[in-house]
Amino acid sequence: MKHTKMWLMAGAITATAALALTGCSTGDAPAGGDGETKTDITVGFSVYDMQYEFFQEMEAGTKAAVEANGWDYVLHDEKSDENEMVTGAQALLDQGVDVLIISPFKPDALGPIIAKAQELGVPVIVDDIGGGGTPYDAIVVSDNKDGGVQAADFIDAQVKELGLTSKKVVSITCEPSAVYAAQRNIGFVEQIESLGYEVVTELSGNSKAEEAYTIMKDALAKDPDVAGVFACNDPMAVAAANAISDAGKNPTTDIVTVGYNGDGEALTAIDGGTLSATVAQDPKGMGALTVDLAKKLLDKEDIEFGNADEREVYQPVTLITKANVADFLK
Amino acid sequence: MTNTDTAMLAASIQPPPQKKGFSFGAFWDSWGIASVLVVLVIVAVILEPDFLSMGNIQSILRESAYLGIVACAMTFAIMNGTFDLSVGGQLALVSVVTLFAYGVGGTPLALAAAIGTGIACGLINGALVTALRVPPFVATLGMLFVFRGIAYVLTQNGPAVLPYSEVKSPFAQIGSLNVVGIPLTFIIMLLVFGVGYVVLRRTGTGRKVIAFGSSPLAAKFSGISAARIRLFVFVILGLSVGIATLTYITRVWTADGSAQDGFELRVITAAVLGGASLQGGKGSLVGTFSAVLLVSVLNDLLVSMGVGASYQRIILGCVLIVALAIDGLRTKFPGSSALRKALSFRNKRVATAG
Repeated sequence: MKHTKMWLMAGAITATAALALTGCSTGDAPAGGDGETKTDITVGFSVYDMQYEFFQEMEAGTKAAVEANGWDYVLHDEKSDENEMVTGAQALLDQGVDVLIISPFKPDALGPIIAKAQELGVPVIVDDIGGGGTPYDAIVVSDNKDGGVQAADFIDAQVKELGLTSKKVVSITCEPSAVYAAQRNIGFVEQIESLGYEVVTELSGNSKAEEAYTIMKDALAKDPDVAGVFACNDPMAVAAANAISDAGKNPTTDIVTVGYNGDGEALTAIDGGTLSATVAQDPKGMGALTVDLAKKLLDKEDIEFGNADEREVYQPVTLITKANVADFLK
Repeated sequence: MTNTDTAMLAASIQPPPQKKGFSFGAFWDSWGIASVLVVLVIVAVILEPDFLSMGNIQSILRESAYLGIVACAMTFAIMNGTFDLSVGGQLALVSVVTLFAYGVGGTPLALAAAIGTGIACGLINGALVTALRVPPFVATLGMLFVFRGIAYVLTQNGPAVLPYSEVKSPFAQIGSLNVVGIPLTFIIMLLVFGVGYVVLRRTGTGRKVIAFGSSPLAAKFSGISAARIRLFVFVILGLSVGIATLTYITRVWTADGSAQDGFELRVITAAVLGGASLQGGKGSLVGTFSAVLLVSVLNDLLVSMGVGASYQRIILGCVLIVALAIDGLRTKFPGSSALRKALSFRNKRVATAG
């Protein structure tokens, strides 16, 4: 019957076309690293989502470093989608990149990507977010623990300078699955407690401003004489500062407020006197560091890890206060 | 109306035999989208010479599977005059359950869990629509949130993951294996379309699916028969999500409640683009198959040309509008041969319902 013939034809066309067309392929010779630093190296960079300033900076830093080495650069945008992440990163590997740098939207989806990379002998460097427990070659993260420590030291210094008597602080954490971000509050709590303070409230704001606002409001109701608050990211810190203002106190002179990331809104707030400080990550520097590690891996040199078990390499962070905010405001 | 009456009605709705000579309406119905696909592939090759590389073609075929499998079932649903807005939530939930099952019982349990959970979701939707008489739009929209919600609850301590140690397991291989160069996931999609075609065009059940879709009046008079068919449609939607999950989760290795947001709209887009009419009674599996490949090729082309994500969204949205416009125009301003079809179609319907 003609319908059956139609279906057989459709099936045959699809199958043979798929195979026949691949015969006309341009013949991609897979580029494998073989120890010597070739001059025609291609670096593939798969980024979390180019609509965020943090990743735009990271991409700019990575691209500049790659081009400074005289290498080729290919970008892939995951658009906050794990399916796109896997497909696109694997496509970069198919295209024959020599090194893959990836800032993963979902670290748990790194598995199939690393599997393919290992098959092709391509080194993989992860930039921030997380490694998903996979055998990447290296991961670059901000020294988050040190950032928390710097925040604690700053609050202590400010409390003394402002002559505040309370030794109570609040710690607002990020979304629980952001394991590296969690290091910020861990470092903060360790340091602040060693300086003799008491963490009266520690709750998760799930990285969201609205939740941090509620947490701060409730914390002030419970302990009106809180001296300082540290939030795991800037949106939450600014929200906490707003909660403080709405409660009739000043978020820089009555209570010391510290955020994390160095986002635009935080810098504006610091400059305007509504936020005490933030800890800035250096996404551009992280990007450049991943390229530096790529070079080491291609040259088969050893890498100095900050944490050898997890193959972590740290990028230093900077505390921004009213004193130095002018340098960071664009 | 009895079963024989329904079968007669179904037979009477077939278009009259085609006159000799080339009829554009008939050509477009069967091969329209396939032709657009061929043209797009040619354009792609011109714009991106690397398009034809083995890796790229394999990637496109591998990618299309999970969308295609569910689109095949969605074509059944649209031809039956209904649709399912919850398939995205079903995919998330089935993915999570499948990965958990893998952790407990390995590949066999994971396969069983995928199929079982999919069918269960389909049964719930079907029961809501047939037994409780909730309109499909409302029922499936509600279940979309429920399924996703359950997936979120199950993964509140962290997403469901296939650990890296399982990289060589048969389960993980489903997503990456190539059989004589053709991705296994694509072969599964071909099998699903093959079986779907046989059921739709060669069995009584399939004919009833179309008949009840094209004539709601006949469906109303058929009562239980029509309700059973609709339940069947929702169950095969669930089953298709179960199969699709196996092709999806073995490529991505992780799932939580947020997986594949907006999936249901892409599936419906593919089915409508392939010729399924939201009025019911009309659809084409060949068309859906081509439309799925079309969307995948278009996506691949846009990405390799470096088109920004925002523009990609606009372009894909326009494709959906074009698809729905063609569908709408077809019923309002049909070509001459299609007009003849439409008139005789309507005459027959009035005759039997009177």
